[in-house]
Amino acid sequence: MLEIPAQIWQKTKTSYIWRSLFRHGYPDSRKNQSLAVFTNVFLHLHPVKVRRHALAIPYTWCMGGLSFFLFLVLTLTGTLLMFYYRPTTEWAYSDIKDLETVVVFGQLLRNMHRWAAHGMVITVFLHMIRVFYTGSYKPPREFNWVIGTLLFFFTILLSYTGYLLPWDQLSFWAVTVGYEIARATPAIGDEFAFILFGGFQLGPNALLRFYVLHVVGLPLTVGFLIAIHFWRIRKDGGITGPL
Amino acid sequence: MTAPRGPQPFPGQEKRLRLLAFVRQDSIVRVDKRVEDTAMVWPHLLTIEFIAAMLWTIGLFAISAAFNAPLQDHQTPDCTPNPSKAPWYLLNLQELLLHMDKGLAGVVVPTLWLVFMAAIPYIDRSREGVGIWFTSANGLRITIFAAVYSTLLTFSLILLDAFLKAHGYIEFASDYFPGGKQLLPNYVIPIALMIGLSILLVVIVQRLYLANTREWMIAIFTGWVFTYLVLTVVGTSMRGPGMDLFAPWGVPATHQCFAPTK
Ligand code: HEM
Repeated sequence: MLEIPAQIWQKTKTSYIWRSLFRHGYPDSRKNQSLAVFTNVFLHLHPVKVRRHALAIPYTWCMGGLSFFLFLVLTLTGTLLMFYYRPTTEWAYSDIKDLETVVVFGQLLRNMHRWAAHGMVITVFLHMIRVFYTGSYKPPREFNWVIGTLLFFFTILLSYTGYLLPWDQLSFWAVTVGYEIARATPAIGDEFAFILFGGFQLGPNALLRFYVLHVVGLPLTVGFLIAIHFWRIRKDGGITGPL
Repeated sequence: MTAPRGPQPFPGQEKRLRLLAFVRQDSIVRVDKRVEDTAMVWPHLLTIEFIAAMLWTIGLFAISAAFNAPLQDHQTPDCTPNPSKAPWYLLNLQELLLHMDKGLAGVVVPTLWLVFMAAIPYIDRSREGVGIWFTSANGLRITIFAAVYSTLLTFSLILLDAFLKAHGYIEFASDYFPGGKQLLPNYVIPIALMIGLSILLVVIVQRLYLANTREWMIAIFTGWVFTYLVLTVVGTSMRGPGMDLFAPWGVPATHQCFAPTK
């Protein structure tokens, strides 16, 4: 009996289409395990082998990986939210209300985006702490630490620009606090606030600007920085460990 | 399986596949390390990543099913909640705002801090202790010392500021300080405190623990982390209406007002 599925499996594996997809056999030998990793565009972010201590959870706390995971979750849930949300003062608030009351699973979607955003601020912070205390910014990783500081900054900015979008009392006044700070910038306060918020009060322009930054500008920036970050980790010889 | 193109490995040597790039020797994973020192990414790392992603996905679903994201009434400029607070991860800056000039606390200090952060690897260039938590036992002692130092100092300074302001400090400053209530209270004193206390921390750990560059950097970084945490906690859970200071359990409810129904 079992021969039939085995034969089908065999046929599939040797078929033209299968072989055009996968250029290696089932990853149960070292060779196929290596091929599986470096012939796959997603997996090849990894090296084929890592030093054993790099797997130790007490060492990395997994925090870099989880920051990336949350970034992906936020991209996915954020894109879904974009189907329902319009960044204008007429619609923003009622679109969020509709998400909560009308859209199927809309409330869950919004919650996930919200909590993942808070989570990412925390995981990035913890990641930075683990990198610092393990001395992982030392040569040759200096520049990756600089990229990291930028990632920290942009993660907070992403969270902050998203905060305004519901256009409720909470978001409006929270962002007003930031607006007041921007205006207090020495020498260029008014110009700076005007560019960032599109006016001298929080209105439709600010909402639109924050929206564009939140869904296009900042995610692209963070995406590029993460790509560089990961590339450098590879080029710097994987993550640090006791020599 | 079809054989891949190219030269075939000799029998028994299949596992010695190598991928090399032009990387300086000091940065490359040592391929000549004993085999036991390395692990295949498939399956070992990928399993961990997969399980972590699953657990976090489940956790996120659970949290999102249990707690709703906040949504208040439609925005109205006619009604300011008291206090209006920034999101929690910026409350540290908002807290700092209460103790010095706005532009200084909200823009200059964080900018300079970010620049300093980015510069850490260029100041501490030693390779000492890479990959070792806290570098050494001394590093751990310094971390603990700096954590206690900065927590206590930040907290006392916040209390002192609240106490002084409750006892006519601002009025006194406008009458008697050169430059009135601006120059000294909003600029000179906070700047001097921030710089002075950081230098003091470095000097103490150098004297007390014979700190080298890596170690005083640990002290400064720890000092920042704990100052940041204290400011965040105070800003989040101890500030009530008028941004006055309260005990965390005694903060009055935020004064809300409701948008006129249209
Ligand atoms: C969006 C934010 C970030 C993501 C997704 C991210 C991701 C990662 C990942 C996956 C690793 C591999 C090791 C690990 O997980 O610990 C890593 C390593 C590293 N990260 Fe990040 N990171 C982020 C932000 C930061 C920040 C804020 C810093 C520091 C200021 C930083 C500095 C570094 C450095 C220096 C390494 C190399 C560590 C080593 O070799 O042990 N990263 N990052």
